[in-house]
Amino acid sequence: MEQQNKAHRAVRKKSQKVATQNNGRNPKAFAVAAPRRLERQARRTHDVNEKRFHVPMVDRTPEEPPPVIVAVVGPPGTGKTTLIKSLVRRYTKHTLSDIRGPVTVVSGKRRRLTFIECGNDMNSMIDIGKIADLVLLMIDGNFGFEMETMEFLNILAPHGFPRILGIATHLDLFKSPASLRASKKRLKRRLWTEVYKGAKLFYLSGVMNGRYPDREILNLARFISVMRFRPLKWRNEHSYLLADRIVDITHPAEIERNSKIDRKITIYGYVHGTPLSALNARVHVPGIGDLTISDIERLPDPCPTPYQEKKDVEEGKIKRRKRLDDRLKVIYAPMSDVGGVLIDKDAVYIDIGHRSFVEGEEKGVGERLVVGLQNAKTTLGEGAAGIRLFSGAEALNEINPEDDEDDDIRKGNSGRKERRHGRAITDESYGGDSDVGNDAEGDDEDEDYDDADAEEAAYSKSMASRLVDNDEGGAEEFEFADSDSDLADYNDVDDSDVDSGDLRWKSNLADRALKDYKRRKWDIGRLLYLDHISPEDVIMRWKHEQLSSTVADGEEEDIEDDASDSENGDRDNGDDFFKKRENSSILPVDAEVIDRTIPVYDDEGLKDKWSGSSPAFAAVKGRFMTRQSDENDEINPSDFDGDGDELSGNFEDLETGQTITGSSTEGAKQDSVSGEKEAEEQKEMSYDKVREANARKKEKLRLRFEEEEEQEDDGLGDDDPEKKLYDTWHDAQKAKIAKQLEINKAEFDEMDSATRERVEGYRAGHYVRIVIDNIPCEFIETLDPKFPVIIGSLLASEDRLGFLQVRIKRHRWHKKILKSNDPLIFSLGWRRFQSIPIYTTSDSRTRNRMLKYTPEHLHCTGTFYGPLIAPNTGFCAVQSVANGAASGAFRIAATGIVLDVDQSVQIVKKLKLVGTPYKIFKNTAFIQGMFNSALEVAKFEGASIKTVSGIRGQIKRALSKPEGHYRATFEDKILMSDIVILRAWYPIQPRKLYNPVTSLLLNEKTEWQGMRLTGELRHEKNLPLPQLKDSEYTTIERSVRRFNPLRIPKTIRSELPFKSQIAMMNPQKKESYLQKRAVVLGGTEKKKRDMMQKVMTLRNEQVRKRQEKKQERKTAYQKKIAENEEKRKERERKDKREFFQRQGKKRSAGEPGGGGKRHRGDYE
Amino acid sequence: MVAPPVLYSEHVDFRMRLVLATLSGRAIKIDRIRSDDMEPGLKDYEVSFLRLLEAITNGSVIEISYTGTTVIYKPGLIVNGTVTHNCPLSRAVGYFLEPVLLLAPFGKSALSLTLQGVTSNGIDLGVDTIRTAIFPIYNKFGITQQELRVIKRGAPPLGGGEVSVFLPHVVLQPNTLHAAVKTPSVSKIRGVAYSTRVSPASVNRIIEGARGVLSITGCETFIYSDVARGEESGKSPGFGVSLVAEARSGWCYTAESVGGPGETPEDVGERAARALLEEVALGGMVSRSQVKSLIVLMVIGKEDVGRVLIGKGVIDEGFVRLLRDIKTMWGTEVRIKEQETLDEEDEQAEGLDEYVVSIKGVGFINSSKKIA
Repeated sequence: MEQQNKAHRAVRKKSQKVATQNNGRNPKAFAVAAPRRLERQARRTHDVNEKRFHVPMVDRTPEEPPPVIVAVVGPPGTGKTTLIKSLVRRYTKHTLSDIRGPVTVVSGKRRRLTFIECGNDMNSMIDIGKIADLVLLMIDGNFGFEMETMEFLNILAPHGFPRILGIATHLDLFKSPASLRASKKRLKRRLWTEVYKGAKLFYLSGVMNGRYPDREILNLARFISVMRFRPLKWRNEHSYLLADRIVDITHPAEIERNSKIDRKITIYGYVHGTPLSALNARVHVPGIGDLTISDIERLPDPCPTPYQEKKDVEEGKIKRRKRLDDRLKVIYAPMSDVGGVLIDKDAVYIDIGHRSFVEGEEKGVGERLVVGLQNAKTTLGEGAAGIRLFSGAEALNEINPEDDEDDDIRKGNSGRKERRHGRAITDESYGGDSDVGNDAEGDDEDEDYDDADAEEAAYSKSMASRLVDNDEGGAEEFEFADSDSDLADYNDVDDSDVDSGDLRWKSNLADRALKDYKRRKWDIGRLLYLDHISPEDVIMRWKHEQLSSTVADGEEEDIEDDASDSENGDRDNGDDFFKKRENSSILPVDAEVIDRTIPVYDDEGLKDKWSGSSPAFAAVKGRFMTRQSDENDEINPSDFDGDGDELSGNFEDLETGQTITGSSTEGAKQDSVSGEKEAEEQKEMSYDKVREANARKKEKLRLRFEEEEEQEDDGLGDDDPEKKLYDTWHDAQKAKIAKQLEINKAEFDEMDSATRERVEGYRAGHYVRIVIDNIPCEFIETLDPKFPVIIGSLLASEDRLGFLQVRIKRHRWHKKILKSNDPLIFSLGWRRFQSIPIYTTSDSRTRNRMLKYTPEHLHCTGTFYGPLIAPNTGFCAVQSVANGAASGAFRIAATGIVLDVDQSVQIVKKLKLVGTPYKIFKNTAFIQGMFNSALEVAKFEGASIKTVSGIRGQIKRALSKPEGHYRATFEDKILMSDIVILRAWYPIQPRKLYNPVTSLLLNEKTEWQGMRLTGELRHEKNLPLPQLKDSEYTTIERSVRRFNPLRIPKTIRSELPFKSQIAMMNPQKKESYLQKRAVVLGGTEKKKRDMMQKVMTLRNEQVRKRQEKKQERKTAYQKKIAENEEKRKERERKDKREFFQRQGKKRSAGEPGGGGKRHRGDYE
Repeated sequence: MVAPPVLYSEHVDFRMRLVLATLSGRAIKIDRIRSDDMEPGLKDYEVSFLRLLEAITNGSVIEISYTGTTVIYKPGLIVNGTVTHNCPLSRAVGYFLEPVLLLAPFGKSALSLTLQGVTSNGIDLGVDTIRTAIFPIYNKFGITQQELRVIKRGAPPLGGGEVSVFLPHVVLQPNTLHAAVKTPSVSKIRGVAYSTRVSPASVNRIIEGARGVLSITGCETFIYSDVARGEESGKSPGFGVSLVAEARSGWCYTAESVGGPGETPEDVGERAARALLEEVALGGMVSRSQVKSLIVLMVIGKEDVGRVLIGKGVIDEGFVRLLRDIKTMWGTEVRIKEQETLDEEDEQAEGLDEYVVSIKGVGFINSSKKIA
């Protein structure tokens, strides 16, 4: 019988889904192999990502950025000049022979570089450190890091670290590749610890033809041109400028009269940082002091980037260049005399070589005439003969004083008011202007230069044409010109024209203007800042109100008068000094209460206007949301009381579509409805118009969207995930910044350049010419292009002086500890100044206690008097900036950060008053020697005192009899030997010294010396240190104190409880047995003793001998040690001598300040 | 080389000039103060304001000439603290509080100020208006947490009021404002009607009068009544009302009026209501009594461009003077351009003559604020 087996169960197919899910694996088995490691890895990834974030900063670099300032820094003899020469050669094919001042070159399509060499004096290093975008840190590879390099790095740190590129030179001097490799590695490691890990270090080998090898320079140049820069905080808040060129424009006659007169100078340079304010900006020039810019003006870029040029060509500003010549690669180094051509606003100076003119051997008539004029001792008409205007007229010896005075007043008596208009630049620029009649001649002259220097002439022409374009087409520009042509439309009178005489046309003009008046539509933007038109008038004109007849007559003339008044900048000038001003008051006469905030309403008028359903209301009806539309809006009266919560309107979730009458949100809905209507109209409209309208509509929508977004906090959408636009706070911040920058750009792009300059200022990248009055003559007389001149703008608050509280730390490499009340030179903000700090520490935040010295390795607080720079600004301090005072040690004394600024400070000094008790009762004692009078005691009544042993007490009352003695109580009885101490706090004030380092006014710019330390002065004058008698240390004689034994009176003793009974025994009177017995030796005892004596004698002798031996050995050893020591000292002395010999050679080589060439032999 | 003082003449905008000087840190000299007047020199309230400035700053130097016609003010640093100031009865506390509000957020610490005197007089901002209409302006700039409590209401002429203001929020610089697209629509109207030493019914009559005029707007209106009794009333009888038309975006328009001699409460209410309608009709983001604070806060912002919509009627002489004073102080100019009304459908914008004022901040930083 066949077996009947049960049919096999069909294999259950695993569901496809499960299979794919698990991927053939058991998920439980392979969850996480190493959870700890995984966690660590995740954490690390997160950390690394987080580290990449910086606080988002606004990058205000404009579209056409200013040149990157590349500072070349290093100790003398490391090849700074050679490097600049090589790089300039690489970029421009120019070989500079002598580098003086900054050199600007075009390095890429949109990038320019300004190279500047930094000297090794403290002042230059500090100034350069504040403005450099990129620092090329030159290191002598053969020598290693030197003190200057370390100092410079430590100057950079507190002022915001710019990018740093290390460059090791002199590497060809290594003989073996192994030592070269080792040295490179060592240098790199050290640089990394100083800058950051992974900082780039370049290696340059030997010099060929006065330059570094081309290949290496090419690499370096490439590296520089792709470098990107992060905005630094200080530079992001201030504008600054590195002076390209400085010209003295004081009237020569005034210098002739008084050679020490304060000068008027112009400074040229590219603006960096934030825009430079157009009006009376306050600036600081490190090395000179705080100054006010009297005039600022934009000039055509002397070193335009190809990108800019291309843009100019496209806009038709300049002609397209036919071919690119190597020599057209632009370099701009006005102080270095490149190519011998200098281009100014009013002239072009061509250096034709010094050979062509030799004094005393003048060639032509012209030369003789000019030399003759130069040699004249007196000016025209000054001689006895006087000046004769016409051949027949009498000679004039003196000028009518009235005229003179008049003239002076008009000109403000401060040199030239108007700029001189030179020919070469201005010829085509003011096309319509009559004063440029010699257009053609100017051009001709340009041609003349051609054969000599064709490109240069072409260059100057292009400069000229660019200047024209810059002004953006005549008429527009004149309306906005800031000084006298403001009112050019109808009633303005150019001041110079008034001077020159003919006034007749003017009255006509005024009349005509008056007639035109009603037709004119005024632009508020222009009227606003015409200072000679009163605000009332501004509003009246703008709102088309009628001039009241009384005002109308005098009005126009008034404007002129005031205009000329303001021109003269002299409010009390001659003629109206005694005259009572008719309408001097700018206030309306009937304004009884002025300075009111609530406007005056015309009650009757308003009553008519807003009664019933007036037409006035129809106009504003749409502005009110009616109650029906607001139904969802819960009325919650309690909200209203007090808190502003409800006022800020958190109603975002409200459906606004429900509004019935014209709320603006409705507009969107209506868009679709009106769409069809529009379509019909579009047929009629031209495409352009439609496009324009659409664009405008789009723009408007964009703005609205922007604004709505603004209101919805930061786009992070705290609660609502749908609103969440950005993942992180960081992203949101960055987006916010970007949006704001876009808005700025859009706003400024709408303005014409003149308006923009007034609203925004001269932005970074503009090449400007700054005029500054009243500069000490020493600046110009001792000007040396090797020392950088920097102009840094000051914020309004930085112009004040006060006390700064800083967190300060002595630099760990500085040898000396810093002492309170010793002058220190700070580099803070743009300024370098000497001040006198007091170091303090905070006693548990209750008081600032003065410290005599800075702590060894800790931060402490310092307080000094100086300019109020905003908190959170870093600074460094040095004790002396003079090279002469440098001892070769590390010069940066301290670094720190500003914590707080104020106009007063509270610092106390610990004061301990000491007294002694002269009578002691139980808890009361009379103290002497602490005060001199009862009055003093009265002041301290109730003060807590303390003995040295720690018993606390209180001053009670002064005693009448011995003056200055007082009664005090203590918590316990004090001893006569106790000293009583009163701890008090004495307030002190830091000394108010603010002494700017005026190094640029010196002949020896590296040797500025301010206030010296007392110690230095004593040393110089050979004065002994005054010693207080009390402060002298004497040997302390401590007499041995004997204490009597404690005696307890019998009565008390008997009263004591048993436990405390003192067991006392009377001394024994009888002699005891041991005392009175007699001992007699005998027998074995005697033998024993004898034996012991012998043994001990032997033993003692043995020990003595052994010790003698030991002593002998010891002396020999010590002698040997001493010999070794002697030898070591000798060796060290020799080493030291060699080292300093070498060092001395090196220093003396670099002594003349840069350009120090080191001979190869030095290293042997 | 210290910058020379900025020169001003006459007593016009006295407070604002001192405020600008304090914010910028520049010394100013004001001369010819009522020099042609029968009573030359500073008025009592001006001197009192100088004293208040001295109290909340540290290191300020104020020199008043013998005749009182010239003042030299060298500002110190704003330190704030706890100050009690007794205001002269010629002006309301709003005269003193308005400029202090501009200074306090840029000081070293919180300001807790108690002002005694007249609480509202119809010339200077009333305390209710400050709380309900000026504080929201500051909130727009990120300055918050202001508190104002009316402890006693004091009406002119004898005053006797007391206001305590707490301004704890010290900021580095105000936020940049962007409000140049849409004129806000009024969503509701609120107000405070108050009375001291008169029949409590007068408050209801004020409210009635105001509501009567405002009824045409169809807007939801609620006016609170505040009747000062006993201890909390000042020395003189008086009543008044302060109205605020609020938009959902937080902007508001304001008007107030104070009962004069012989005026009925209804008249006062109606007057205030009409003034409010007038202010709303002028357009822009703010009404005339708020605009100066707004502009100053915009000027002392970051170096970014902020924009705000201002109605044509709001631009008046005082506005022009303010802009000129700002220019002399910081050298910065503002740009005013006409608002383009583009969407024809947008009926509410029609008929409004509005201007966009773009202001680039001067990069102001509150330098007296400590770092932790």
